[in-house]
Amino acid sequence: MELNSYQQQAFNYQRPNIEKFGKKNWIWAIFFMLWILVGLYALYLQIAKGHVVTGMRDNVVWGLFIVNFIFFIGLSYAGAIIAGLLHLFKVSWGKPIVRLAQLMTVISVIVGPVFILLCVGRFDRLHHLFIYPRIQSPMTWDVLAILTYFVGSVLFLYMALIKDFAVYRDAKMNIPKWKQKLYKILASGYRGAASQKRHLIISQNLLAIIMVPLSIMVSSILSWIFGMTLRPGWHSTIFGPYFVLGALYSGCGVLIVAMWVYRKMYKLGDYFTEKHFTNLGYIMMVLAAGYGYFTFSEYFTDWFGSAKWDSEVINKLFSRHEYGWWSLFANVVGILIPILIVAIPKTRKPNWITFAAFFMVLALWVKRYLIIVPTLETPALPMQDTRMEYVKYTATWPEWALTFAGIATFLLFFTVMSKFVTVVPVSGLEDTSHHPHHEHTTEEVKTEKVQIA
Amino acid sequence: MNLNYKKATLHLLLTASLLLVLLTPQHLFAQADSTKVADSAQNKEAVAAEATEEESSLISPSVEFFTVQKADNTIDLKASVKAKVKGTFYKLYKVKITFVQINGDTEKELGFVITDNNGKAVLNIKADSVKTDNEGKLHFKAVYAGNKQTDPAEEEVTIKRARLEITPVKEDSLLSVQVKLIDIGTGTEKPVAETALGIFVNRLFNPLKIGEGTTDENGEATVEIPGNLSGDAKGNITLLAKLDENETYGNLEASSVQKWGTPVSDKIEDQPRALWSSHPPIWMLVTFIILMVVVWGHYIVIVYEMLRLRKEEPHPLPNATIS
Repeated sequence: MELNSYQQQAFNYQRPNIEKFGKKNWIWAIFFMLWILVGLYALYLQIAKGHVVTGMRDNVVWGLFIVNFIFFIGLSYAGAIIAGLLHLFKVSWGKPIVRLAQLMTVISVIVGPVFILLCVGRFDRLHHLFIYPRIQSPMTWDVLAILTYFVGSVLFLYMALIKDFAVYRDAKMNIPKWKQKLYKILASGYRGAASQKRHLIISQNLLAIIMVPLSIMVSSILSWIFGMTLRPGWHSTIFGPYFVLGALYSGCGVLIVAMWVYRKMYKLGDYFTEKHFTNLGYIMMVLAAGYGYFTFSEYFTDWFGSAKWDSEVINKLFSRHEYGWWSLFANVVGILIPILIVAIPKTRKPNWITFAAFFMVLALWVKRYLIIVPTLETPALPMQDTRMEYVKYTATWPEWALTFAGIATFLLFFTVMSKFVTVVPVSGLEDTSHHPHHEHTTEEVKTEKVQIA
Repeated sequence: MNLNYKKATLHLLLTASLLLVLLTPQHLFAQADSTKVADSAQNKEAVAAEATEEESSLISPSVEFFTVQKADNTIDLKASVKAKVKGTFYKLYKVKITFVQINGDTEKELGFVITDNNGKAVLNIKADSVKTDNEGKLHFKAVYAGNKQTDPAEEEVTIKRARLEITPVKEDSLLSVQVKLIDIGTGTEKPVAETALGIFVNRLFNPLKIGEGTTDENGEATVEIPGNLSGDAKGNITLLAKLDENETYGNLEASSVQKWGTPVSDKIEDQPRALWSSHPPIWMLVTFIILMVVVWGHYIVIVYEMLRLRKEEPHPLPNATIS
């Protein structure tokens, strides 16, 4: 396996992260595991006592679980689209962040669907989805689409990792034997031979080509669970692109935050440079504008149409006594502030962009809540039982505990994965500026090869 | 030093927040299920056990009791039993309710009914079989005798005999009903004036209110009926006149079936396209199959390419390592 000196340098720099699971990592991992334990206790209560321990009732049948599902699945689609486009267009500055995007893709698509399982009342009938599928149901489309997408995203991540696995295999690292063996198996015999390179490139290109439209389609299908339902606030033709854009937007935010965290944690400032933050910031700004446009179109047409139930949902969303403040938060923090922070040169800095991205991600989570709950609280048929807990949804502590357990699982996966593979991919890395640790001329980088195999 | 202090504080805060969540009693957050029905023996036992353990006294149920005087000269005696245990109401099912008529000092048992799953018991009696007192009033009592776990409970109701009549009137295309409320307690018929009556039409679950009127000095009121109500397959609708919770007469009901509705077929028509159709539309199936074949076809090619990687692995040089 052949690396140029820049790639070699990048590998040597990140090597200790793979070799050592430090004290700080243990503390974080244990902290996340404790949260997961609390979530498991909440799950036990939910199974033992039934869904009555959640705030979901006959009327508002979806709550935090579906909010989290859409949120995480959205992150996953965003990761695939970003990684796929960066690969297809051979964007050289994007190479260091591809790994993060792909990890986000796979981890989110594992965590997200778990929330669907939490929402399902009858686990014992889950397999009916597969043995009695109804092709005409958006639910079936979603299950099959996510399953297909999951396989694709795992393959996509693995394809991109093969070269790096070969590097880890060939490096004499101070790691346990099982890990060495695992790298050997996962490297799939890759030695950098011309024919192997060709196969890998074909596979990666094919996958990147298929993953981008697949993510867009799967994200649209997710939106159709709502869009195909004749309910105020959901039955909208723009829900497909709205969800795609929302997913990309929130995913871009998480990517920026992840970059910032790893930049601090593993001191990867030379790889996740200011340029990455600025470029992703620009992408975030464009997506924010697009997302804002969709949001405005959605609310404006509903409001102008003045259809009875649509108006009721709009009134709820903008009433100070109901969801008004949350709507304000979702739209100001989720749309306006990111645009302003990136637009103003003085705040177009990594810390500021990350600040905007972090709160934008929170705001977009709230936005998902605002899509789901107010509509369910506005039934088109008169309710038979109008007890307050039937009319209004309030999340209970088991739902919050499971939500935080989901976030903890997401972060734990990231922690573990960053100890298994290098956060910045080594093999495909290109020196786009200057060398991070010592100055090299372009000529030097071209000629100075480290012959391994 | 300063950094360590910050770290320690952060860890302390995180641990404290975690402990707080772990140790906080669940009932502070969890919503209580106020929909519980004592619809199983286990539930009843649980109710009783809770009461004996924690309150060490019997459960005190309450009986709700009211009557409905009907146009067919019968009276429905309706009672329901429920008990409050630890702040939650439980409806007592399969318990015996005895209905009694009180006449001065004497009590006459009219019969008993076992409560249904919702804790309700209804006894229909012929109005002629019970005698009114001097004022033309009837006194009834619903009695729950109690058992080992529960106290006895009873409730009394006094009503004056009355009759509600409903007469449908059709003039050209104008539909209306004339309702008449008559006091029959004293043997002679006396119209009851200034009383609000509701007109309903029977629907699938509950009667739907379509109008109301107040009786004149003749005890009569006329209420217009909309002409566009959905009826059954023949267009029949059941009109219902009701006097609800009147202080003197209690509840009264009278009904009339008229062919005034729009016929709505009760046959299930073939749905051209529905979620429950046996087959999806062909175009949908074809699109679905094409999409799946394209994507999974790509996957198969990719996996095949991946497998060739291993096959085409060149022999590594003996000293091949990364420093």
